[in-house]
Amino acid sequence: MKPVVFIAGGMALVGALVFEQGYLDVLWPSGEAGLQAATSASVVQPAASQQQEAADTLEQVAQAQPQSAGGSTQAPGPGQPPQVDETALRYFSAKGDTKRLEAEIARLRALYPEWTPPENPLAVRNEGDPQLDEMWKLYSDGKLADVRKAIADRQTAQPGWQPPADLLDRLAVAEAREQLVNASDLKQYDAVIRVGSLHPSLLTCGDVDVLWRVADAFANTDRKDRARDAYLYILKTCEKPEERLATVQKALPLLPRADLDQLLALERTGQDGKGEFEPVRDDIARQSLANADADPNLVVAQADIDRVKKLADANGPATDDLMLGWYYVRRDDPQSAEQWFSKARAKEDSAAASQGLALALVDQNRPAEAEEALYKWRESSDDTRKVYMAAVANLLAVTPPPPIEPAVLQRMAQAVAGEKDAAAAQQFGWYADSLNQPQTAAQWFSLALQWKPDDEPSAYGLALSRWKLGDKAGVAEIQTAWAGRSERIPTVGERSVETAAVDTRDHGQQPAVQPAQAPSVTEPAPRAQPSPAPRGGSAGTAAGQGGGCSTTMDPSVLAPESALTRGWCLMGANRPMEAAAAFEVALRGSGKTRSDAAYGQSLAYMRAGLTDMAAVSATKAPIDSDRSVELRISLLDQQANAAFQQRRYMETLMALDERSRLAPEVVGLMVLRGYAYLGLKRFADAEQVFRAAAATGSRDALRGLNDVQTARNPQN
Amino acid sequence: MNALAVRGAALLCALLFAVVPVTTAAAEPAVKAQEWSAYKEKFLDPAGRIIDNANGNISHSEGQGYGLLLSYLAENRGDFDRIWAFTRSQMLVRDDGLAAWKWDPAGTPHITDVNNASDGDLLIAYGLALAGAAWNRPDLTQAASQMAGAIASTATGTVDSLVLLRPGNHGFGRQDRPDGPVVNPSYWVFEALPVLAALAPQGPWDQLAQGGRRLIDRSMKIGAAGLPPDWVSLRAAPTTADGFPQEFGYNALRIPLYLLRAGISDRALLEPLLAGMRDSGGGVRIVDIGTGATRQVLNDPGYRIIPALLDCALNGTRLPDDVRSFSPTDYYPSTLHLLSLSFARRRHAECL
Repeated sequence: MKPVVFIAGGMALVGALVFEQGYLDVLWPSGEAGLQAATSASVVQPAASQQQEAADTLEQVAQAQPQSAGGSTQAPGPGQPPQVDETALRYFSAKGDTKRLEAEIARLRALYPEWTPPENPLAVRNEGDPQLDEMWKLYSDGKLADVRKAIADRQTAQPGWQPPADLLDRLAVAEAREQLVNASDLKQYDAVIRVGSLHPSLLTCGDVDVLWRVADAFANTDRKDRARDAYLYILKTCEKPEERLATVQKALPLLPRADLDQLLALERTGQDGKGEFEPVRDDIARQSLANADADPNLVVAQADIDRVKKLADANGPATDDLMLGWYYVRRDDPQSAEQWFSKARAKEDSAAASQGLALALVDQNRPAEAEEALYKWRESSDDTRKVYMAAVANLLAVTPPPPIEPAVLQRMAQAVAGEKDAAAAQQFGWYADSLNQPQTAAQWFSLALQWKPDDEPSAYGLALSRWKLGDKAGVAEIQTAWAGRSERIPTVGERSVETAAVDTRDHGQQPAVQPAQAPSVTEPAPRAQPSPAPRGGSAGTAAGQGGGCSTTMDPSVLAPESALTRGWCLMGANRPMEAAAAFEVALRGSGKTRSDAAYGQSLAYMRAGLTDMAAVSATKAPIDSDRSVELRISLLDQQANAAFQQRRYMETLMALDERSRLAPEVVGLMVLRGYAYLGLKRFADAEQVFRAAAATGSRDALRGLNDVQTARNPQN
Repeated sequence: MNALAVRGAALLCALLFAVVPVTTAAAEPAVKAQEWSAYKEKFLDPAGRIIDNANGNISHSEGQGYGLLLSYLAENRGDFDRIWAFTRSQMLVRDDGLAAWKWDPAGTPHITDVNNASDGDLLIAYGLALAGAAWNRPDLTQAASQMAGAIASTATGTVDSLVLLRPGNHGFGRQDRPDGPVVNPSYWVFEALPVLAALAPQGPWDQLAQGGRRLIDRSMKIGAAGLPPDWVSLRAAPTTADGFPQEFGYNALRIPLYLLRAGISDRALLEPLLAGMRDSGGGVRIVDIGTGATRQVLNDPGYRIIPALLDCALNGTRLPDDVRSFSPTDYYPSTLHLLSLSFARRRHAECL
């Protein structure tokens, strides 16, 4: 009987707390101290929370019970034998329902400590109330509404008749349980807590599912400490091994590790010497890694990592390998990530494993392998599509252009066209340009512009390609369209590489200069090649295939001016990290060189996606105001994008707001702004900005509008 | 304000007189036993839910509210408690204390839309309040008070200084849709407002009643129909709301019944409603708001009785024979039928 006693004790404990302080919020006061403070002021001794003394306090608890049972039960006067309603007892006994019979005996004992249960409840005189028996039967069958009807009908037919308080109490509790479970299924967490608080007798080890649901409601309403206290209450009070284990499993995804450790401290050791929570320890380690994926700064205990590694190596599910892969991706260890993703794929090739592998390969500058790995899975999700496009863009941007098999080129081209991915199309443009195919390049740049009309690098690439094709009118058309929006597009065709280079050195008009030679062009073309290197964009021209900066060298041996030239050359070759190093050397120079170097390094870091470092570089030397504004705009672009990627929507908006003070917000950024609002659930703001962007014909904005509708009406 | 309060109090007295069953043993309930019996046979599941048989056998908070009201008017406490037990444990599961509006027997979970519907909330609270007072049941009164408080604090809002009822707490506001706020004039169960005001006196009940009256007045001027549409957009000047039939339809046709039941006898309001909704054969017209053209004529006695009741209240015309007896057809018209008949018995016996 002992467990039952604990249950009753716990129930009354909870009831007393509720009535002492009025609301379930104080049901499990945070921490043991709170619990004791609350209980010592009421009818329960502080020790009541400790199981071994629960029985001792039962008497006191019992006196509080009528209160918590809704005041419907009268405690007997002193010296009088208690009037105990044994109807339910007889009914359950007659039905052979021993589980309910025992629960009822425990309940009556808690209410009436002097009462002794009959040895044979069936032997008790049947008082002959078939209508009441029928009510109990309905109750026992779970037909609660029918019980209500039967009671009300009888009261109509037999004025003054009162159902036994026992029946009413149980009915109320059963109905409340239904209500609580329904609310919980619908994630109406406040309702769960409200119903629980009104019916503390629901909260017992006898129905641990309800306790779990209440804990879940706390956890999902940002009251994790209360959730933890609820789980702790179960582990301190409830005895069934499978329920104790399940409690830890339930808490696992909901509680932070520190709280979970408090739960684990209550582990009991079995006769076999094993801890009762052993079966869930693997999942705990897994959860640690999963949490680490969500938070790259989270430090995970090595023991947890080792445990999951062991599981993975012991032929655990591929998800273990995947988890390790994601863990290492997020810790900037693409080699380890690659290893685990490869293992995951060996166990079971999947979109997730291939996506992870592709990411790890891109991070290691192995985009060809990344493309190969993900091609088959590229359509699986938005994420796989994005990563695949990144692999394609990276592969095309490699300098010098690697040989790519026609079949691969073909499928990449199809994928890019299918996705209408402007960034990858732009890279295709540069790739074609580098192979001296300006006609093809022009087509790709045109596509990129069609998909992303504000893509300055593509417009620049298109202008260059047209220039190479001798299409002066076409160049002029672009120059007109981009007047005032790009510094470099107007310069296409203006001067030869040689003069541009001289200009830069002498007058600083053009910061970005191709190496002394220009890409060879097979088609008839003016002798002098235009090629100011792209600025602030992500494109590389077909530079670096000979002379200039095609070889690898330590820039620190160079004079600042030469390092500056090499920096621009490397930028032209789309090798931004090397360019940054060259600019670092150039920063040792003075005046214009130093200013250009700071500007160049900032651009280089930006192209490499290192926004923070780009910001630092921009402060290393005074940069003239036009460039400074341009840099600032680019930085804010990147900050906004980076913040958005990390779901830091407020920061996204702050960056966009600041940017909008420097330059008009282009459609692409309006869409970004819309999604940031959406992320913040500012639906009206999101809708407004999407609507404005959609008016320019942006399909992304239309999609955004649709996403707003979906987010607003998740049921639809 | 004083005048309003006086009017409200007078209304309340009239109402209680009207709807609280007379407790003398001889008096027959406003809804007769055999009527309720026939109704529940068809529309009340033993588990306590009112079944909308014409709508996939789902249940909704409105139906539960009607069920409570009708079983109260039939003085059937057993069925009332049965319906209440279901309503509470299955539908009163929202965080804000209002009822989730839609329960689908085929859904998992059964609540397939957790949004509320404020007419359902009003009806449920009203049914509980009436039964709690008449049967001396503090548990019902307390539940009614809680719902009344929740309605007052979360289901009302102000548009252009009018206090109005949000149809649901989600999805109808200015922020929620391009033509929002959107309201439904037939959600004003006017008779419930003074009763709930007595339970939750802090709520803006008088203003809500005034707002409803103004809304109906203005809605009748939207189109050539001269009738209020089911759904009204208040984004700018009142107009029909997007995404709903632009008509005086199944929702709006109960507006006159609600007005009458609340003791509102303003001829300037009721006469155009009667003229607009009744076709030459006594059926109820579903009317295109913009053109005033008839889209459909409803001839179920549960619909026909509404213009007949208007005619009775305004002109003393007796109800035609075909609407004076009840036999259940579909959930919605049958419900309106019993609400109309019970009202005629208590307030316009001369029309029977």
